[in-house]
Amino acid sequence: MKTKYMNPYLAGLMLGLVLLMAFFFSGRGLGASGAFKNLLVASEHIVAAEHVETNGYFGKYVADGKNPLNSWLSFEILGVLVGGFISGALSGRLKIKVEHFPKITANKRLTMALIGGVLFGFGSQLGRGCTSGSALTGMAVLSLGGFITMAAIFGTAFGLAYTFRKNWI
Amino acid sequence: MGPLVPQEIIGQDWNMLIAFIIGIGFGFALEQAGFSSSRKLAGLFYGYDTVVLKVFFTAAVTAMLGLLYFSLFGWIDLNLVYVNPTFIWSAIGGGVIMGAGFIIGGFCPGTSVCAAAIGKIDAMIFLAGVVIGIFVFGEGYPLWKEFYNSGNLGNPKISEILGVSGGVMALLVIIAAGIMFWIGEWAEKKFTREEY
Amino acid sequence: MNARILTLAVTLLLGVVIAMVPENTTKRYKLTASDMITEVRDGSEIISPEDLAHWIITKDPSIQIIDVRSPDEFATYHLTNAFNIPIADILNDDYVDILDQGVKMNVFYSNGTMYSHQAWMVLRQLGYENNYVLQGGLNYWFESILSPKAPSIYSSDEEIAKYDFKKGASEYFGGGGAEIQATAPATNTNKPVIKRKKAKKAPAGGC
Repeated sequence: MKTKYMNPYLAGLMLGLVLLMAFFFSGRGLGASGAFKNLLVASEHIVAAEHVETNGYFGKYVADGKNPLNSWLSFEILGVLVGGFISGALSGRLKIKVEHFPKITANKRLTMALIGGVLFGFGSQLGRGCTSGSALTGMAVLSLGGFITMAAIFGTAFGLAYTFRKNWI
Repeated sequence: MGPLVPQEIIGQDWNMLIAFIIGIGFGFALEQAGFSSSRKLAGLFYGYDTVVLKVFFTAAVTAMLGLLYFSLFGWIDLNLVYVNPTFIWSAIGGGVIMGAGFIIGGFCPGTSVCAAAIGKIDAMIFLAGVVIGIFVFGEGYPLWKEFYNSGNLGNPKISEILGVSGGVMALLVIIAAGIMFWIGEWAEKKFTREEY
Repeated sequence: MNARILTLAVTLLLGVVIAMVPENTTKRYKLTASDMITEVRDGSEIISPEDLAHWIITKDPSIQIIDVRSPDEFATYHLTNAFNIPIADILNDDYVDILDQGVKMNVFYSNGTMYSHQAWMVLRQLGYENNYVLQGGLNYWFESILSPKAPSIYSSDEEIAKYDFKKGASEYFGGGGAEIQATAPATNTNKPVIKRKKAKKAPAGGC
């Protein structure tokens, strides 16, 4: 089973080179949560334009008629979808399913995923970036914030691991 | 020479295509590493699978060394590379909330995109959650605006704070990563779980 | 197992090397030597004293006059509205915003033209735009602006007009308080076009 994934160090090297190329070409690192912010702001703007424009946080993304979807991160995330799909196809992992620990139900897993997603979405805005945008990219450029965010994410996850062990082991 | 787009060696118009191609590489690397499985991601916190640790730190070390060597050879102007700002309290607060989201949801936003791409329904639900979380943050922004903007330190590098050169800092990170990999491999043997 | 130890060893070695070497903080030259030769031969960096005098008198807001001599010399005498960046400090980061802005044109001067040209060359090679050198330096300035020679009666109208302007300017800079006709003969058409700097974007990014 284990051999079907790439050697983690090799995969890490590959990921690091991709990140390096992002710096070399575009002068910036990778990201993920920002693309969903763009998606959210763009769709909310269609429904309630004025509301978004006056919002203290979202407003700047639509100021001066900007389209938030026309951003580096949006295209990068489209690429991630494609890249993930190609990799999954090559390794025979394309399958519609809910992956969950056998001792919990699929519904419980989905509920947990939703809660986790909400927390992550909220935290990524507060922390100015998620694991890719703040922790990984931040560490690569030796940003103090990157190291702090990384330590806080992994520290908290370790700290809460025992509380949520029933979901995983 | 680099970074090519900010120096306008490559036109701004190409930036989106570059973003897309880099995204493909990003998604491919994540999926190949096994980050499309929440089971593998959560494994780090129970010691049975430390792939997250290995991939994350190998990638960070690779990019960090790459940037430093590129700078040394004059291939990239590090002044033109974005350094994330540090707002110390919101970085810690956001990190703590993300950490909770990680252990509960089993993904982070980037990996969930990857997992959604190969058909994991839990990842799609996680992504819906992410969007809701961002929505809540934006709509309730006045409530945490002050906290969000507190502790602004500018864009410091950790090497500047510690008063060492970037190279020395990289060496420290490499040593730390080596030790963590060693612990990780030890943990994987000790806490082995069958896969499902 | 061996491969992993080898990888770790190589990475550590790379880390040690990067920790030992000094960081690359050199400012990179943007213009090559032959670019410079072309510009120097072209002489387009020279500003005549008449032009400069005219701009000072008309209080042209797009001019920055920079004195590259020592602070002592600056304190003794300097041109109206000039400010002092001694040549030794010209690369100081504090002055980057003044020297490399793409809004105003910088006119360098020293007693002769050696220091002003040196400043101009270094900055030009760094790719800074809109830098110029006062023709002949302060010495020539005294000669041509402050004590202009009267043209002979056979001179053209243009030269006589030029002399009138210089005489007016001389009184202006001499502090004589005389009313000056700042209607210099067509000198203002010589003004170089200020090259707008491409908006220097702060590197953007983040989630």
